[in-house]
Amino acid sequence: MRGLLLKDFYVLLRQMRALLLVVIIFAVIPGSSLNAFAVIYAAMLPYTALAYDERSHWDQLAGTMPYAPWELVLSKYVLGWSFTAGAAALCLLAGALERPFTDSAADPASVGLAFCIGLLLMAVTLPLMFLFGVERGRMLFILLSVVIACSCVGAVSGTLVEGGGAAAALTLLLPAGAAVLTAVSVPVSVRLYIRRLCA
Amino acid sequence: MNSENAIELRHVSRSFGEFALQDVSLTLPQGCILGLIGENGAGKSTAIRLIMHTLRPDSGEIMVLGQSNTAPAFRSLKEDIGVVLDEAYFPETLNIRQVESVLSRAYRRWDAAAFDGYLCRFELPRNRPFKDFSRGMKMKLAIAAALSHNARLLILDEATSGLDPIVRDDILGIFSDFTRDAEHSILISSHILSDLEKLCDYVAFLHQGRLLFCREKDELMDTYGILACTEAQLSDLPEDAVAGVERSGYGVRALVRRREVSGIFPVERATMEEIILFLVKGEGRT
Repeated sequence: MRGLLLKDFYVLLRQMRALLLVVIIFAVIPGSSLNAFAVIYAAMLPYTALAYDERSHWDQLAGTMPYAPWELVLSKYVLGWSFTAGAAALCLLAGALERPFTDSAADPASVGLAFCIGLLLMAVTLPLMFLFGVERGRMLFILLSVVIACSCVGAVSGTLVEGGGAAAALTLLLPAGAAVLTAVSVPVSVRLYIRRLCA
Repeated sequence: MNSENAIELRHVSRSFGEFALQDVSLTLPQGCILGLIGENGAGKSTAIRLIMHTLRPDSGEIMVLGQSNTAPAFRSLKEDIGVVLDEAYFPETLNIRQVESVLSRAYRRWDAAAFDGYLCRFELPRNRPFKDFSRGMKMKLAIAAALSHNARLLILDEATSGLDPIVRDDILGIFSDFTRDAEHSILISSHILSDLEKLCDYVAFLHQGRLLFCREKDELMDTYGILACTEAQLSDLPEDAVAGVERSGYGVRALVRRREVSGIFPVERATMEEIILFLVKGEGRT
């Protein structure tokens, strides 16, 4: 799978520079929700990699190489998890650097929740991409992204402001939901990928 | 099924709406080169996708290097198969160095020295993005990659199309050298029938999704010949002798079975292209 990840890394070099820029800008501008968007933006990079794959018909070539379908699918999840974790780490670093100068620097809790939202987004939308392809899956992705991101960011902001039990429940529920959905999403994506590849 | 065969297809069928590959059975013996011939849309690429199991058959069985291609072990067996598809399909932003980094992690027996040798031989630039390559350069890169992981079987789908005659000749020489090892085999599809005539031991002819024949090339070339004659002479030939007829203002040219007409008329050697064209057009004697 290292070869697959390396291929995506090369393909996304430009996007990674853009991601770094977005994270730096969002980190410099005080406000947790902007940091959240930087992390969620990172979670969208697997779709860019999939779009490049479709454009170059990489799947056809990869299918002739000694890779199992699950490796081809899982590599996209690993790519997304890595970028999302990297963006979250950058936000935490930027928040730590900003904190002495401002009260609204990114705090670890909101970055952690944004990380979970990124995982949720990938878990829900990647199977759609593997089923329909990026072009057809994109509209569903945008729709779902807006719904999930708005509801999660709203819930996070609201509960963090309110504090107390609701916030505690959300900080437990969101990571648990992300973990469960991810565990379901990967095998579903593998099945859908095989079905589409062999159709 | 025989483990001495590099590829065996038994009654393989696959349909896609209007097109169907129907009941295809063919064998590529180990150490040999099989040419897959057919018009556009005849099913050559479909057959290759079925062999590599990137497409599932509706029915039939496929063995590759002695293994069923549905077996879990087929994944690791792909280490032994070098594939060149009808396009190179590498991500276009990558350059050759990056392609090599990716492939060397995909194939355990990647041979960097061999790859470098082919890059030099094909005069491919190492740092130019793949998207700036001509079709010929892309195909050369795909061929270099397929030859650089110590494969035992090459599967080549229109691998020589887009190459100039000099490079094509060089590459045909490489393919021919590849099969000097008795364990090495090649399945090659091509529209350039003169290449296949030069290279192949066996020829399989797909037409509209059906396999018309899979025969030894020399036997095929010995079976048929070209007869230039008049209409009257044509009508004197035995019923089974004529496989195809082409009429023009200059007379009649017929693809004939040599054995049926030997001694009656002088018969010229038919090229592979003539045999295939006559068989496809298949105009009868009348």
